This record gives sequence, C-alpha cells and structure tokens, in this order.
Amino acid sequence: MQQLALFVTDFIALLGIYLIITFSLRLQLGYAGIANFGLVLAFTGGAYTVGWLPIRLGMWFFGINSGLSSDMIWNNTIIISRINPHLQSKPFMAIVIFILTLIVAGLVGALLGFLSGYPAARLRGDYLAIALLALGEVLAIIGGNFSPLVGGALGVQVPDVWNWVGDFRFLTVSLLIFFFSLAVWGYMRFLEKSPMSRTLRAIRDNRDAASSLGKPVTSIRLKTLVTGGVLCSISGALYAFYTTGVTAGAYGMFDWTFLPWVMAIFGGVHSNLGVLLGTFLFVLVRKLITFYKYSLGFLPFSPVWLQYLLTGGVVLTVLLIKPSGLITEKPSYTISKEKLKQIASRVLNGS
Amino acid sequence: MTTLIDAIIYSSLLSMMGFGLTMVRRTTGVWNVAQAGLVSIGAYCIFSGVNFLGGAPYIYLPLAFVVGAAVNALLFWFFVNPLRKRGSSFFILLVATIAFNIVLTGIINIYADFLQNVFSFSSKNFLMTQLDLHFLGESAIFFVSLVSLILLTVILFLFLNYTRVGLALRGSIEDPTLSKVMGVQINWIYLLSWAIAGGTAGFAGGLLPMRFQCNPGIGGSLIAVMFSVSILGGVGEIYGPFLGGWLVGFAQIYGINLLARAFGPWVLSYKQLLPMLILVLALLFTPEGLSGFDWTGKLRALITEEGEAR
Repeated sequence: MQQLALFVTDFIALLGIYLIITFSLRLQLGYAGIANFGLVLAFTGGAYTVGWLPIRLGMWFFGINSGLSSDMIWNNTIIISRINPHLQSKPFMAIVIFILTLIVAGLVGALLGFLSGYPAARLRGDYLAIALLALGEVLAIIGGNFSPLVGGALGVQVPDVWNWVGDFRFLTVSLLIFFFSLAVWGYMRFLEKSPMSRTLRAIRDNRDAASSLGKPVTSIRLKTLVTGGVLCSISGALYAFYTTGVTAGAYGMFDWTFLPWVMAIFGGVHSNLGVLLGTFLFVLVRKLITFYKYSLGFLPFSPVWLQYLLTGGVVLTVLLIKPSGLITEKPSYTISKEKLKQIASRVLNGS
Repeated sequence: MTTLIDAIIYSSLLSMMGFGLTMVRRTTGVWNVAQAGLVSIGAYCIFSGVNFLGGAPYIYLPLAFVVGAAVNALLFWFFVNPLRKRGSSFFILLVATIAFNIVLTGIINIYADFLQNVFSFSSKNFLMTQLDLHFLGESAIFFVSLVSLILLTVILFLFLNYTRVGLALRGSIEDPTLSKVMGVQINWIYLLSWAIAGGTAGFAGGLLPMRFQCNPGIGGSLIAVMFSVSILGGVGEIYGPFLGGWLVGFAQIYGINLLARAFGPWVLSYKQLLPMLILVLALLFTPEGLSGFDWTGKLRALITEEGEAR
C-alpha cells in the first residue's frame, strides 16, 4: 500500500514536470513551428538556479555563519542541515525562498531562451534544429566542470522548502507541481483562442506570407523561444525542489529533450489534449518500467534499456501510421461554438 | 608530436563521420542523428570480433562497414523513405532518425550489458591501444586512419565521376526529377547513399577504440562534433566534410591547447564546448559551409573595392 502511494505521488510529480515541458514544446513546435531540440538547456538552467540560489537566500535570511560560505560546495551538507530546521519552523520564509527562486529561474530560462534563440531564430528549419540540439548540452558541460556552480559531478543538496509540511511533504510538492502544469494548460487553452495563436500558426505555415503581412517574424519567433525557455526553466526548478538535489549529470538530452518530443509527437503536438494524452501515457509506462525494474532482474541486462527500445519503437510506429499523432489539429474558434450557433441562427432567420 | 598524431587521427575519423551526415543530407535532405548509433555499432563490431574470434582488430573493419551500411539502409528503407514519400516535414524526418537512434542506443547498451554479464568482458568501457600494431615506430592507427580517409576520397571521386551508378547518384543529387525522367531508379540510388554513409560511420567507429576510450554512448558524445564538421565543411559539397573534419579536429585539439596557454589549464575541461561554439559560429556566418562559400567572388569584390578606392 505504501509502495502504491509512493508510486502515485512520484507519478503525479513527474507528470506535472513533463507536462510543463511538453506544453512548452507545444507552444514552440505546435504553434510556431520551431523545432526546439534544446529543451534541456532551459530545464538545466532552472535546476541550476535551485542548486545555487535558495541555499544563499537561506543563509542570508536565517543569518547562518558566513564563514561557511568560503566554500559553499564543501560545506553544502552542513549549511543545508542548518537551514532546514529554520525552514521547518518558518513556513512563510520557506515559501518566500520558493517563490523568489522560481521567479529567478523563470528569468534565467528567459535569458537562455533569448541567448540560444537570438542567433538561432534567424536560421531556417533544420539548421535551427541542429543549432538548438548542439546548444542543449552546453550547461551540462559547464555545470559538470565548474564546481562552484552546482558542485560539479558530485552535485549539491538543496534546502527543503517544503519540509514544514511533515509527512505529506512529497504529496504536497507533487500536487503543487501538478497544479503548476494545470495552470500552463490553462494558459495554452487561453492562447488557443487568442489572435496570437493565429499569428504563430501563420508564421509556422508560411513565414514569408506572414512577413509580407507585416508580422515581425523573427521577433515573434524569438519571443516564443523565450516563453518556452521560461516554462522549461520553471519545470527544471520544480523538479530540483522536488528531488532536493542538483547534479549536472542528471540533466541529459534523452530525458529532458528527446522524451518530451516523443510524448508530444505521440499524442499530437498540434493539440493540447494530444500533448496531455501523450505525456500521461509515456510517464505512466516509464514509471511502470522503473517500478518493476527489480522484478526483471533475471534479464542479463539492465531493464532500463527496454525503455529506450519502447520509446524509439513507439515513435517510429506512430510516425509511420499516424504522423500527426493520436489527436490532430482542429480549427480554433475565437468565440464559443454556442455563440457561433446563435449568430448563425440569427443570420439565417434574417433578424 | 603525440598531439599532432592525435589531431591527425581524430580529424581523419571526424571527416569520415561527417561525410556520412553530409552524404544523406545532400541526397535526401535528412539530418541523420542515428549516425551516432552507427559509430558506436562500429566500435562494438571490432570489440566483439577481437574478443570472440581473436586476431588483429583491423581485420574486422569490413564487418563494421557492412553492419553500419546495413543498419543505415534499414533505417532509410523502412522509415525515412516511406515518410519522405508522404512529404513529411524536416522535423518529422529528424524525429524519425532520433527515434531510431534511441532504439540503437537501447540495443547497444543491452548488448554491452550482455557481454559484460554473460561473458565477463569489460564492454562498458574499453580501449584497444594495446592490441594495435606498430609501423615505423608509430601506432598503425595513425596510418590506417589517414590512408582510409585518402582512399575514401579517391574511391568516392572515381565512383562519382567514372561509374554509371556514381553519375546517377550525382544526377539524383543535382536534379532528382530529371534523373527520374532519365530512368534512374532514384530510390535505389538513395538507398545506396544511405548504405555508403552508414558504412563509413561504422568504419570510423571501428577505428575509434584503437586510440580513444569507447563506451556505448561514444557516438552520442560525438554527434555535435559531427554536425559541426558537416555544417562547417558545407553540405553543398560532398567533399566538404573532409575540410570540416580537419578544421574541427585540429581546432579541438590544438585550439584548446592554445586557449589553455592564454587563459590557464582550467580551459581544458571545456574542450567539449569548442565544437558547439564552432557550429554556432559556422551557422551564423557561413551556413552554406566553407566549401559553399563564394571565395573567388568575395576576393574579386575585395580587389574591385580596393581598385575603386584608389
């Protein structure tokens, strides 16, 4: 029973994390046609922000011995052990640290989106995709080698800003992450009906035509990359807060770029519901493989690799059978269908 | 001296790997990310041959070529070609090669685990320098990599210029519609180009363990470098990656040493960033690649400007 509860809690958290990333991809690829293969860049940026900022905020807010700051990485465990009791007794301060860090993570994501997008937004199609693919691993290389950032290959612990919740800590964080992802979904639904979605689709479908109609194509593409970067970065930050640890090696291309791509393509990147469905199914399968990993111990190889076969195999099958994904793009209505019907009946009745 | 030899070996291997990327991009318009998996497959072909059958590693290079060619041909025939025929967008094709690479990554890792757990081979991390032959006081890999690259260039030149199939391949690259009208079986020609590209990647991967530490992810760790080679060399010219490979290879090995001398040894840790930087700079300033750059035109414009100024 306890194992099932753990499974569900972790599933909800991972679903929320991946939903934010896949919705970011929905925005960039589904609406604007930007094939961002560098999602991991902003995700890592968000996670690094959590690895760097909250511990410093905690030391400052709670007046922890500044002598320890001479080597924040070496003294990381000691500092965390001094900050965490303060966070447990002062929930308000814990939430302030959480919110401040998320805001900074969002700004870092925007900056990374801008930096990678500024040169890249001028490139077309596959060259843009290749540039973003190559740039994706940049932060992982820097973080792995520059230890003052997040402790290099060994990583750092993060203050647990939710330890004041007690036994329900993991459930609370999971639900919080899930609510965040629902908020992003709400934003995507709002965007669907807005004029901006039509502008983005016009740029996606015919960049030259949109440009000839006065749409600032490069600027809009850049803004889309920046917004996508903010979403991915917040997702990375939430993930780091959830796991209370940041290690440079944990943010690989497979988990945080290719897998979200697979989820979105599988469900249908041109549909919010499709993205939701694809993400749900893949996170579930992934969790099940991890959960039953030890039951497959008789295999002469690590069962983790089955995930790779399954992921790649499913995508290839979907691309061949239904390249647009499970749910295809539908026309968006600026006003509700009921209102449309009312107008239509009024026109038909001649009133 | 060792640095120079390392740079020559590395550049030759990069040129061969980049050649595969350029070849399929030029013929079918697809960036093949599965090239990464093919390089790893090549390395494991050599490793398996030596461990199961013994002998010098080089005798298994044809096996690495054939397996690489077969796997890439499979990818083209069963996945890329059907998608191309439907007019799928570039990112769908790119995703297909990424998905195929994910499958290859899974298979290679399962195979490496299997070799380790069942046969007790240290297959998750291996280097085969101790098995290398020596010639004129130098490791054979130096001569093999260099001669292979020269041979590949010569064979490719002869093939593309003096054989019917080669001419058909060139024709298909230049004008696919006209080639079809002239009766060229364009799909078979494309399949051939994918097979040659995959074979070259497998071959280059097979040479890697003779000098560099290999693991199941070796191809994946080189994919950004391969893209740099291909884009810097220029996808418009089939020989472009040979230029790109040497530039990127030397820049990565010598460039990082120069930077370390200027800024300190800490720079050496960031060696992997250099190809990405080169790639971004290449994309920004010369997206058509160095071989596609209008050198004579620019030179002429410069001379004319100077003449007018006088």
